[in-house]
Amino acid sequence: MSSTPRRRLAPDALVAGGVVVLLVILVAVVFLTGIGRSLYPPDAATTQAQDTRDLYNIVFAIAVAVFVAVEGLILWSVIRYRRRPGDDELPPQTHGNNLVEIIWTLIPTVIVLYLFAISYQTLNQVDALSAQPDVQVHAVAAQFQWKFEYLDGSGNVLATQTVPFYATTSADCPKTQEALTNPACGGMALPVGKSVQVSLDSADVIHAWYVPRFLFKRDVVPGQTNRFEFTIDAADVNQVFRGQCAELCGTGHATMLFTVLGLSSGDFNTWLTSLEALNHRTPPPAPSGATTLQLTAHNIAFDKSSLEVAANQPFVIDFKNEDPGIPHNVQIEQSDGTVVQAQPTIDGGQETNYQFNGLPAGTYTFICVVHPTIMHGTLTVH
Amino acid sequence: MTAEGQVMQPAAIGADHGAAAVSPHARRGISNPILGMLLFITSEVMFFSGLFAAYFSTRAQDQPWPPAQFAHTLNPLSLILVATVILITSSFTCQFAVWAIRRGDRRGFIRNISVTFVLGIAFLLLQAYDYSLLFGDGLTIASGPFGTTYFTLTGFHGAHVFGGVLMLGVILYRGMSGQFSAKHHDAVEAVSLYWHFVDVVWIILFSVLYLL
Amino acid sequence: MATQVLTRPTTVYRSGLYEWLTTTDHKKIGIMYVINSFLFFLIGGLFALVVRSELAQPGLQVVADEHVYNEAFTIHATVMIFLFIIPMLAGLGNYVVPLMVGAPDMAFPRINALSFWMLPLGGILLLSGFLSSGGAAAAGWTSYPPLSEVGPLKSPGVGEDLWIVAIILIGTSSILGGINFLVTIFKMRAPGMTLFRMPIMVWTILVTSVLVVMATPVITSALVMLFIDRNYGGHFFDPFGGGNALLYQNVFWFYSHPAVYVMVLPAMGIVSEVLPVFSRKPLFGYKAFIFATAGIGALGFSVWAHHMFTTGSVFLPFFSLMTFLIAVPTGVKMFNWVFTMYRGKLTFSTPLLFAVGFLTMFLIGGINGAFSASVPVDFALHDTYWVVAHLHYVLFGGSVFGVFAGIYYWFPKMTGRMLDEGLGKIHFVLMIVGFNLTFFPMHILGLEGMPRRIADYASDAGWTDLNLAATIGGFMIAASMLPFLWNVFVSLRNGKIAGDDPWEGNTLEWATSSPPPPYNFDRLPEIRSERPLFDARHGRVVHEAQA
Repeated sequence: MSSTPRRRLAPDALVAGGVVVLLVILVAVVFLTGIGRSLYPPDAATTQAQDTRDLYNIVFAIAVAVFVAVEGLILWSVIRYRRRPGDDELPPQTHGNNLVEIIWTLIPTVIVLYLFAISYQTLNQVDALSAQPDVQVHAVAAQFQWKFEYLDGSGNVLATQTVPFYATTSADCPKTQEALTNPACGGMALPVGKSVQVSLDSADVIHAWYVPRFLFKRDVVPGQTNRFEFTIDAADVNQVFRGQCAELCGTGHATMLFTVLGLSSGDFNTWLTSLEALNHRTPPPAPSGATTLQLTAHNIAFDKSSLEVAANQPFVIDFKNEDPGIPHNVQIEQSDGTVVQAQPTIDGGQETNYQFNGLPAGTYTFICVVHPTIMHGTLTVH
Repeated sequence: MTAEGQVMQPAAIGADHGAAAVSPHARRGISNPILGMLLFITSEVMFFSGLFAAYFSTRAQDQPWPPAQFAHTLNPLSLILVATVILITSSFTCQFAVWAIRRGDRRGFIRNISVTFVLGIAFLLLQAYDYSLLFGDGLTIASGPFGTTYFTLTGFHGAHVFGGVLMLGVILYRGMSGQFSAKHHDAVEAVSLYWHFVDVVWIILFSVLYLL
Repeated sequence: MATQVLTRPTTVYRSGLYEWLTTTDHKKIGIMYVINSFLFFLIGGLFALVVRSELAQPGLQVVADEHVYNEAFTIHATVMIFLFIIPMLAGLGNYVVPLMVGAPDMAFPRINALSFWMLPLGGILLLSGFLSSGGAAAAGWTSYPPLSEVGPLKSPGVGEDLWIVAIILIGTSSILGGINFLVTIFKMRAPGMTLFRMPIMVWTILVTSVLVVMATPVITSALVMLFIDRNYGGHFFDPFGGGNALLYQNVFWFYSHPAVYVMVLPAMGIVSEVLPVFSRKPLFGYKAFIFATAGIGALGFSVWAHHMFTTGSVFLPFFSLMTFLIAVPTGVKMFNWVFTMYRGKLTFSTPLLFAVGFLTMFLIGGINGAFSASVPVDFALHDTYWVVAHLHYVLFGGSVFGVFAGIYYWFPKMTGRMLDEGLGKIHFVLMIVGFNLTFFPMHILGLEGMPRRIADYASDAGWTDLNLAATIGGFMIAASMLPFLWNVFVSLRNGKIAGDDPWEGNTLEWATSSPPPPYNFDRLPEIRSERPLFDARHGRVVHEAQA
């Protein structure tokens, strides 16, 4: 025997309606207060990003309109057309209406075609490449670090930045203006107001070059060189833009960070010249009598997990990289993560002497900055 | 409910609908097992489409194709042509078997299915021997994209032929124990559809890999 | 107005374990599908809690290292997609489709059983990766090469191979099920049930099954090729050996995009059954709805590369246009649902609440998807938490709410007992609030630049508060399972006896006892429209009002 739905429904309807009204209020709060602005991408830092943001404005406006209209219709129907307790009469059994079907097929089609058209227009602006960009950079992604090669007009490498992340935490790189023009502090410096074309290559798996303030990312696909171009707004000079790998590339994916530095043309030239000098610098011979520690990288692992050295005395790490095609380095960090001294990476088959100033007694970590989660150890200074 | 999926429909209340005149067996048209086999073949076609898409995409980006060291390894006028003829012939004998059982000729059915079965095995043996010749020429699944695509495509085709041979064996056995008649032989129809599919895939494969 | 009783009430047919293990009855198989899928929902949910617990604060507090985190989100998504949603909807379909078309069972009952048993086997294979030395698969549920190939920093362990084999097995189960549904629907409908009198649930299962049969084999081919690359020295996808990494993505997404319609269309079918019953009106625009569903199915094959907009080798305008266009039939359905409720008389049963939850949440998922259809906007949002928000609004806000609507709606038919409405409402409220708390902040996180699949984030990134909020929401969703499970446990023993037709339903499954006898029907009512039971109950109401 069937049962008609129980009569005790009005309170349930109010509870459900109440929840729904609560959600509506939450959404309204989001929009009407400052929090609502977070439903926007960050302020654009390039001309292309501004084009994208302008497009976003329109898409967002339409989205809000559709949301309010349809969600409103749903909620209104749910509240207005509640069955009153005891009302057993059937409502009009409307099966449909062809005219209305046509209307709500045509109007959304027009809206989406409009959205497609403006998106396509913006896409052509964002994806445009010029024949003679002002600056050309070749970004090479590898597990788990970026390398930025600055090219001249014919595609030859002028200088290579192997410290992709700009950090002002170590003694060499304080939080000052000077640090911005010192390539040893890291980062991919670029001149503002000039067209920059970046080509992307991968040494191993798929990565992605992503800078949120540029509202842009592009995959780095091994076997294929992707290319894109942008111009940083002149108003964003001396700004630091975070970047990050945005395509799962393994265990070090979350740490594959980089920074873009927007500099004036003059500062950028200074920076690039310093980088060239840094690349060509021959390291001075180790001071005689300085302690030399031996360390080797093989199969993406250090051959020692602990090192010891005396306090307050300069020392040298004689480092061999035995992994062909894979860059490594040795970097020392304090227990709070502060980098003691940034060191350049070397390619497989090379050997170098990393020189370190004397350290106060304590426990430090040494890592390979390219593979920090796998290659690490403890340095005890006593 | 019978094992074959022919379903008895429950009688409906009321007499004034034309559908009541239809027999209680399944709706007119092809039977359930045959529709099922056609859908299965559709899914197999899509599987091979994925492999073919990979082949054409790889071929387009890897020039020259074939690579220089394998320029003449895949020779259409070789053992593989014999295997092709054998497989095509087996499709004919398979169809003869279907026609035979449709008119109730059990002996003709068994004869033709046996030949089809043997031809299928012959194809597999020739394919295996041909593989060994190719290995001798240095073409393997690991020798580069050319080898990988070749052995993947022909290997999965061979696996499907093997499955088809097993099915032929089953209907041969069932035929010999008298389970088929002119009115009831859905399994034969279904298996023959599968066998023709396997043959068509081979013709396409042979053309694409050896002739194009 | 009481429903005419068409069969004598039967006592619940108690079956032993052996009966359940060897059954070919679609109703038992359907129930096993539902239970198995629900168990995997809980397992997938546990992995989600691992992910959320780790992300609540910067720093690695919960997982031992990043590799374990990568395993967690990989297995979370894989389990949810292949072992929960797809089979759960297939299972509900398995139970109701033969009943709704008036058939005594599915076309191939033994293959039906085989399809089911491949699922726990596939699940065990997948999860057994955790017992191997390299751990379970950790390259994401998308498993892109070269990361999913063998190599020291890639996926050297056997966990990835187990993942491949498990999905091939589960995919095969899916294909067999799809074939079964199509033959049942085309060949075994009761007399009088023309195609255009079938319930929408059956139509959505039909279109879904076409997608399953045509698209699933393509992912099988992609996985087979990946397996060959990994284990036989193949060169399909390795770019340094003549292969192409993006080839995998194209073949993979050719299936995986239609797969999202496999995951949502049957849930839409459920909503299309529940709304008319609890509005006491027919579904508005039945035929338009069918064409919209078929349109989504067809268009769904033409948009796959919108997952690859940032790869630099996609014909962008075509895929962007098709992606925008697919919003149109989806919108048609949304309006048809709303106008089903409009001028109806709504009863706020738990199934209706979940159906309305579907409408409100799926709408958001559809809208935020439109942002991603715009290529330049996608350049900013792809592979960020925006996409995580989008996919969960459509798959959880959509499909999961639809699934629960179906469970609450058909539980009385399956068990003969009613679920408690009060507990159902608590479940609904906890779930919808927890769901929005978890996933709405992710829109903001994505816009601010938080990428997907990162085990950790910088403490100065400004993402901590929203991540913490999302984690709290996640635990709320978990908590909402408690009233549900308690409800099921209690109602199975002491729930109110349901009878044949507790909801005044429209379709044939309510024309037999609860639960139905093994052969489903003693007799069927006359079938003259898509609501044969409504017609029988109201003596074929003839006046059709046009809006």
